[in-house]
Amino acid sequence: MISLVLIVLTSLFFMGIVVRTKSIASGRKGPGLFQPMKDVIRLWKKGAVYSKTTSFIFQIAPSIYFASIIMAILVIPFGQYKGIVSFDGDFVFFAYVLALGKFFSIIGALDTGSSFEGMGASREALYSMLAEPAFFILMGSFALYTGHTSFHEIFVSLHFGSYISYGLGTLATFVLMMIAMIENSRMPVDDPKTHLELTMVHEVMILDNSGFDLGLILYGTNLKFAMYGALITNFFTGSFSIGVSILIFLAVQFFFAVAVGILESFSARYRMGNNAQFIFTLTSISILIFFGVLLIMGKFV
Amino acid sequence: MDNFWLIVSSAIIAVIGIISIPLLPSKIKAFSNFLFVLLVAITTSIPAINALMGNTTDILLPGSAFFGEIPIRIDALSAWFILIINLTCINGAFYGIGYMKPYKEQKANLSLHWTLFLIFQTSMLWVCMLQHSLAFLIAWEIMSLSSMFLVIFEHEKRETLKAGINYMVQMHIGVAFLTVAFIGVYFAQGSFDFLAISDYFSINYNAWLFLLFFIGFGIKAGFIPLHTWLPHAHPAAPSHVSGVMSGVIVKLGIYGIIRIALMLKTELALIGELLLIISILTGVFGILNASVHRDFKKMLAYCTVENIGIIGAGIGLFLIGAGFNNTTLMVIGLSGALLHTLNHSLFKSLLFFAVGSVYQQTHTRDMEKLGGLIHQMPQTAALFLIGSIAIGGLPPLNGFVSEFLIYTGFLNGINTIGLTHSTVMILSLASLAFIGGLSLLTFTKTFGTIFLGNPRHELHNPPSEVSLWMRAPQYFIVAIMLSIGLFPQFYFSVTLQLIQSVLPVSSQINSDDFMPMATLMGNVGLYSMLFLALLIAIYLLRNYFVKLQPAQKSETWGCGYVAPNLQMQYTGKSFSKSLGKLVGFVVDEKKKYIEIEAGEIFPQTRSHNSHFVDFFENSIVDKVTNRLLKVLNYFQFIQNGKVQMYVVYGIFFILMVFFGTLFNLI
Repeated sequence: MISLVLIVLTSLFFMGIVVRTKSIASGRKGPGLFQPMKDVIRLWKKGAVYSKTTSFIFQIAPSIYFASIIMAILVIPFGQYKGIVSFDGDFVFFAYVLALGKFFSIIGALDTGSSFEGMGASREALYSMLAEPAFFILMGSFALYTGHTSFHEIFVSLHFGSYISYGLGTLATFVLMMIAMIENSRMPVDDPKTHLELTMVHEVMILDNSGFDLGLILYGTNLKFAMYGALITNFFTGSFSIGVSILIFLAVQFFFAVAVGILESFSARYRMGNNAQFIFTLTSISILIFFGVLLIMGKFV
Repeated sequence: MDNFWLIVSSAIIAVIGIISIPLLPSKIKAFSNFLFVLLVAITTSIPAINALMGNTTDILLPGSAFFGEIPIRIDALSAWFILIINLTCINGAFYGIGYMKPYKEQKANLSLHWTLFLIFQTSMLWVCMLQHSLAFLIAWEIMSLSSMFLVIFEHEKRETLKAGINYMVQMHIGVAFLTVAFIGVYFAQGSFDFLAISDYFSINYNAWLFLLFFIGFGIKAGFIPLHTWLPHAHPAAPSHVSGVMSGVIVKLGIYGIIRIALMLKTELALIGELLLIISILTGVFGILNASVHRDFKKMLAYCTVENIGIIGAGIGLFLIGAGFNNTTLMVIGLSGALLHTLNHSLFKSLLFFAVGSVYQQTHTRDMEKLGGLIHQMPQTAALFLIGSIAIGGLPPLNGFVSEFLIYTGFLNGINTIGLTHSTVMILSLASLAFIGGLSLLTFTKTFGTIFLGNPRHELHNPPSEVSLWMRAPQYFIVAIMLSIGLFPQFYFSVTLQLIQSVLPVSSQINSDDFMPMATLMGNVGLYSMLFLALLIAIYLLRNYFVKLQPAQKSETWGCGYVAPNLQMQYTGKSFSKSLGKLVGFVVDEKKKYIEIEAGEIFPQTRSHNSHFVDFFENSIVDKVTNRLLKVLNYFQFIQNGKVQMYVVYGIFFILMVFFGTLFNLI
């Protein structure tokens, strides 16, 4: 429960911090922290334009995308507190629920019959597919390390072993952060601020969405960022008390947002052709984590 | 009624059906076939359900002196497969009523088709019931042949005939391996009974015999590199037949493998690991190929290969578990495999039926010629969408349940066993996730290209929604799929009982140990329900807010370009192009075109042709067959068509035998 509340709270200003960081980095003052959220609320109050080509798929896709994110958030634990949904192997459920949302956002884009949106959909499908193995190897390694298979149990029993686990946690943070960037189609993979449709991934998929649906999709991105931030936090909060955990949570979310902002300010988007390679690198980092776990457990003979 | 008489009456019903279907007027052939299929299904399902409840059937039929007694056994494993066969055949026969309507002029052809359908179903059932090597092989052969004739219904098409012959040849290679394996057991043990195989395993080295069986059954199931018949046969067959073939006939290969795997005594871990690795490779290879093909039935055929890989991974986990005395892994692996067998038979037949409806309306299997069918065929589109979600293993449908079990198995395997196993398990885990991601790409592409957007090509007849006859079985399948997705604990407990009853006495399991697993499955169902409720709630909320504001209709935003046309839509080919480039080393694309020369100022019209070839077919099977053909050509003079020469061969043979015996050579 507590994780849901915190994630929703963070999602309100997460993008604000990102935007502010980018503004400061480029020498501007920048909008207020809640501006992105205000934009979403404005969209929720607006009417919509639907393409004549679209069918009921286009109508249900944003809602299902949003629902899948909410469902995924319900699985995330907070420190020693379970998520609302918690069972053995729940991270599989987490990944697959998100995949359902992705499925619908992709066919929602294809429903418009536009050449641009198909292009974005194709890229999104490819990139998220390439990122899947990294996440599963990561979680599988920690399942091996802790002997548990649910998010909550893995995170609770993560830090009773050795301090190397914090090192692994750092590597895992990097992988998760990159996965978050890919899933949300942000910087090294996709540039949300680009103005050319041919080079977009996520932005071009939602070209035809407007009004309430667009608001749902944009807010979904905020929630997804906060969700991955919460997941990263869990690598470090294992045995702390609730007050400290909340502080760590807020700090991690803050640093995560600032890191996203800095990354987006000082790096350029990779060439489309190289993205696949880059994303697959994450899998090898995950394998590194796996070998680290084997090393700690003394399974190498 | 007694189980024995039920089985006998099923055979009698089948015979009556085979005789009477050709005599009936062509209008009611399909329907009467459905009734016979239903009756056979009922009479064989009752003993099967009894067997699942713990009351197995074990009958010895008196045979000849050579055959010995023929045992008919329905244990829980046979029962599971019998129920799957019956369910899929009933749906297939029902769907076929509507699907075959346009062919009602071809009276003789239809008689043959429906008679064979009944023979096909009966032979599959007997494959599951007979436990006598020779009788089993006869039933197996009848099954292969009848399905071959079902495939070549449109025999006037060259391509179809070729696919049928390819299928027949490959099946017989499989039968050859099975025969060798069975005869080997017979010479060692002196019995054709399946129990002899078990005895053989307890005194001999296990791996070689298992390899023979694996090749024999694996050709049917479609493990790489034995899968090459699948992508040809499935597109050629009428859709209800493809549905049944993909739904159950490949599963009988799985049945055979599980049957043999349960008898193994030693080398379990080794065989399990190899099976797991082959299965995972099969899965990845299958879905990679599925993602690039534009023929939607071929795509589904490759997708079958992928799912066979997932099922095989479950069996592999079971064997590894058995090798290390890890009962949890055994149960999770086998129940995952069995549930995925059921699930795949459901959603694959659903998908084949849905694309069959598309084919009936549009007369093309090329998805690049379609588009926007959701407006004319909304129900078929929705059914295909549900099938796609299920086959991608996404919650809240049934595919997730079995894939979740197999994931749990991998996670369990990581935890319990040493370094090599941990590595194999975690790579398999990642590959399964990779397969999941790829099938998402494949099915968004297929659904998007066939049903969404605008039509890409002018069709001769405007398509319309198919009749209720064709939609009804699909809704029925969706209902079963939802029941598995939302109440998986029931199906899990059935498979748990099944496993408990078929495991050899040496490795008995205690069902109380698996109560947490059953509750876990219950939880998965519960959370799937929660997810469904959340989906609906958010959608209703969204509808409420959307209604408050004005909405207008307009053209799709063309990014400022004001003259977009239908040809500019994104195609399926371009959707999977970047993936195809990335995995070009496995999925080979062959292109045929002429480059524009430097000096060519006014280029002529030219064509561009590209298609994907199967790696194994192109670089192994075809090469071997071509060499074989070349060599065999030198012996062509023997078969010269002159009767005199053939008489000479006969005399030559008799003389050889004569002199052979005279000089004690043979």
